[in-house]
Amino acid sequence: MTGGAWLCLLAPLVGTILILLGGSWLPRKFAAWTATASVFVAFGGAIWAFFGVRSAPPTPAGGLLPLQVPAPVPAHGELTTAWTWLQAGHFTVPLQLLVDPLSTMMMLIVSGVGGLIVLYSIGYMDKDDEERRYFAYIAFFVFSMLLLVEGGNLLMLLVGWGLVGLSSYLLIGFWHERSSAVAAAKKAFVMNAFGDATMALAFFILIAHTNSLSFNALSAPLSSTQANLIALGLLGGAVAKSAQIPLQTWLPDAMEGPTPVSALIHAATMVTAGVYLIARTHVIFQEARTIELIAAGLGALTLVVAGLIALVQTDIKRVIAYSTMSQIGYMFLGVGVGGYANGMFHLMTHAFFKALLFMTAGLAIHALANEQDIRKMRGLGKVMPFTKWCFLAGALALVGVPPFAGFFSKDPIIASTLNIGWYGYIFYACGIVGAFLTGLYTFRLWFLVFPGEPSPFVREHYHDHNGREGAWTMLVPVGILAVLATVGGWIQFPPLWEPITKWLAPVAPTLSVAEVSSTQEYVTSAVAVLVGLAGVALAWAIYSERKVAIPTAPFWRRLLEHKFYFDEAYNKIFYGPAVSLANGLRREFEDPIVLQTGPDLGETTLATGSLVRRIQTGLLRTYVLFLAMGAAGVVLAFLIAK
Amino acid sequence: MSGLVVASSAGNVLVWIVWIVAALACLASGIAVVTFSNPFFSALALIGNLGSLAVMYLLLSAEFVAAAQVLVYAGAVVVMFLFVIAYVGPRHETPWSGGPGWQTVGAVAAAGALLVEIVVAVGMQASGSLSHQTSVGTDFGTPGWIGRVFLTDHLLAFEITSVVLLVAAVGGVVLGSHTRRAT
Amino acid sequence: MDGPNVAWYIAIAAVLFGIGALGVLIRRNTLVVLLSLELMLNAGNLALIALSRHFHNGAGQIFALTVMAIAASEVCVGLGLVVALNRRNLSLDVDTLSELRG
Repeated sequence: MTGGAWLCLLAPLVGTILILLGGSWLPRKFAAWTATASVFVAFGGAIWAFFGVRSAPPTPAGGLLPLQVPAPVPAHGELTTAWTWLQAGHFTVPLQLLVDPLSTMMMLIVSGVGGLIVLYSIGYMDKDDEERRYFAYIAFFVFSMLLLVEGGNLLMLLVGWGLVGLSSYLLIGFWHERSSAVAAAKKAFVMNAFGDATMALAFFILIAHTNSLSFNALSAPLSSTQANLIALGLLGGAVAKSAQIPLQTWLPDAMEGPTPVSALIHAATMVTAGVYLIARTHVIFQEARTIELIAAGLGALTLVVAGLIALVQTDIKRVIAYSTMSQIGYMFLGVGVGGYANGMFHLMTHAFFKALLFMTAGLAIHALANEQDIRKMRGLGKVMPFTKWCFLAGALALVGVPPFAGFFSKDPIIASTLNIGWYGYIFYACGIVGAFLTGLYTFRLWFLVFPGEPSPFVREHYHDHNGREGAWTMLVPVGILAVLATVGGWIQFPPLWEPITKWLAPVAPTLSVAEVSSTQEYVTSAVAVLVGLAGVALAWAIYSERKVAIPTAPFWRRLLEHKFYFDEAYNKIFYGPAVSLANGLRREFEDPIVLQTGPDLGETTLATGSLVRRIQTGLLRTYVLFLAMGAAGVVLAFLIAK
Repeated sequence: MSGLVVASSAGNVLVWIVWIVAALACLASGIAVVTFSNPFFSALALIGNLGSLAVMYLLLSAEFVAAAQVLVYAGAVVVMFLFVIAYVGPRHETPWSGGPGWQTVGAVAAAGALLVEIVVAVGMQASGSLSHQTSVGTDFGTPGWIGRVFLTDHLLAFEITSVVLLVAAVGGVVLGSHTRRAT
Repeated sequence: MDGPNVAWYIAIAAVLFGIGALGVLIRRNTLVVLLSLELMLNAGNLALIALSRHFHNGAGQIFALTVMAIAASEVCVGLGLVVALNRRNLSLDVDTLSELRG
């Protein structure tokens, strides 16, 4: 199984290197197919690793595996080491991968959904000027994400974390002639860097007290302050990477990147890295239970806020982006209360339907010559039926209507909040409200775009691709994901059958407070579905039948349209002072002092030169005088030496 | 013996007197060379200087060198000077004028420093051995002795001197010839 | 015979050398500069002769004769320069020959 892990990790890297070395001699299609093939090979490696972990015998001892791995392989995973990367005294960090249930699950999701998306991009990025660069970047991204999830110790995870941030920056700013794209890329990177910093601080504390960065070090005895600080640092990183409040403002702007990038990075994989992190390091979060509950609280807050903002968005990708933010809020809620399997399961189904939604939106955008404003897109369903039905599948999965995937994964999360205390009820309420909002904004989108007569804009600008709605490379992945969005949830239906929870139990067991009775499960599911359908109905009433008018409420509308003024607040708090500081430094220090040194040096040299020039009198007598003085000096020196 | 002593003490006093007169004349004429504004008079003072030096050479048992001094220096070199001074005509110029202000001060300082250093250097090197008289043989400094030494021990100096004189003669002729205008 | 010992002669030579140096550095007339140069050379000669007598080494007198010959040649060339200057109606003032002015 470790071979599978290495294959999975290195195949996309090899793809990237091949494309980079090929440069402009490489035919475009060749680059595209190389990237796609490398990710599918990675998927093969992931399957291999999965079967390896599945068939390994169970270990007598529970808990995480020991640092030194002797010959008999412990069950729920294996650490495979390439070489010792870093060594400073007793502190060593080997270059190692961890193959265990949690990492194989993530590997499958990343390489599987990733492979489909890379295949889709072949059609989407066709005829783009810089296709090869795109495929090099995206293969590199898949490699980085796999490194993140396969990392065998915290430092490898951090390396993957950082590289993922880098790939995200490169891909968001892919169309670098657009200043908005470049600005969005920088914003994403800077906010992620904040999270990286808090994670690094957490690691410093860990190293200081345990002299190690292995996953086991998290189980070492730590004082409660230290555990809280470490968990807080890790949470900071997770919040930044997963775009939760308060570090969420970069995600909507990241829609400047190409749609497949949004699908892969900002829906299925990178933004879910925070959830993975919490699940992976849950030991320390359980030590710092308050921090874990803060994570759940942030998730609950984000899911409501994002749902509200999605109600007023007019860009099709931004609606889906806020939806992503909201659903990751659900995942945070799930892992925050202790139901790690619930969070991971929702991660999986979300990858399916969110990627599907982005990709179908991409089909629409591509067919309408890059138009993204939904107000112009009415009646698209008539000319693009395949897109319409796939989008519907994704939308129903998102709202959580049975038998689609979201139903199976979202409701257990909401239910798991019931037993943890008084704040659990608040989380529960948030989850239910979130379900209502999800139904509302998703079907607002659907009703605005697909049903009805095609608008004049659509009639004018729609162009198909040789009679079909898109290239086959775009339609096939969409179709596959539509199927997965429909049936992908059937793998787990708590409390009836729970293979995923059992699969993850050795590494991320669900906390007992997060366990709920069957009654609570069923009731929650029913309520959530009803509430979701109520949202759908309201959307139908407002946007399709026009029976109910959109409420005006100007204050709320302004608030939502400005996304709760987060951007403005951050501008005032961080950007403004930083800019004035920089300007002040430049005015006071750099211009007068640093930049002046050049001219000053020049002037000093000139002045010295003109001083010295006065010796050159041109008079023979002065030169002879200097001779005489020099001779006297030399003789004096000799006399003194004697 | 006593007669010799009386004679030698009388000779000693005479030597001293001659020496003092020669030394004073030497220094006075040296100062005169440097301070007269008319170069003609400076050249004449140089003759006096050379003469007093010749006297001192005689006191130092260097007869041939004294004769050569008078013949060559006073006789030939200074005469050349006088010819050229007469040729270029009268030039009067005060000794201490002109040039940057620090030139004068610097010159005095440098000259004084050199003077002191010479004394100190020689004094240190000799360290007391200069204070007593030595005696030399009777043929020390005679022309025959000089000639013999020139042609045996110091032949190289002799030859080099002749080459230098030749070069100087050629140089003098070249410098003195009429310029050929490049037309 | 007895007389002043060598140290006196050396002293005279030193003073004469100083006077000559002063003359070279102060005077502006080229001819007087050359005359002062002669003074310096003679001072050197005096020192040579005196020490030659003291150490009973003939090389001093030989060297003095050589110096005399060199001095004569140098005067010859120097005066040739002065004559050439005069023929081109250039001033003989050392200060005016200042093309090396920086």
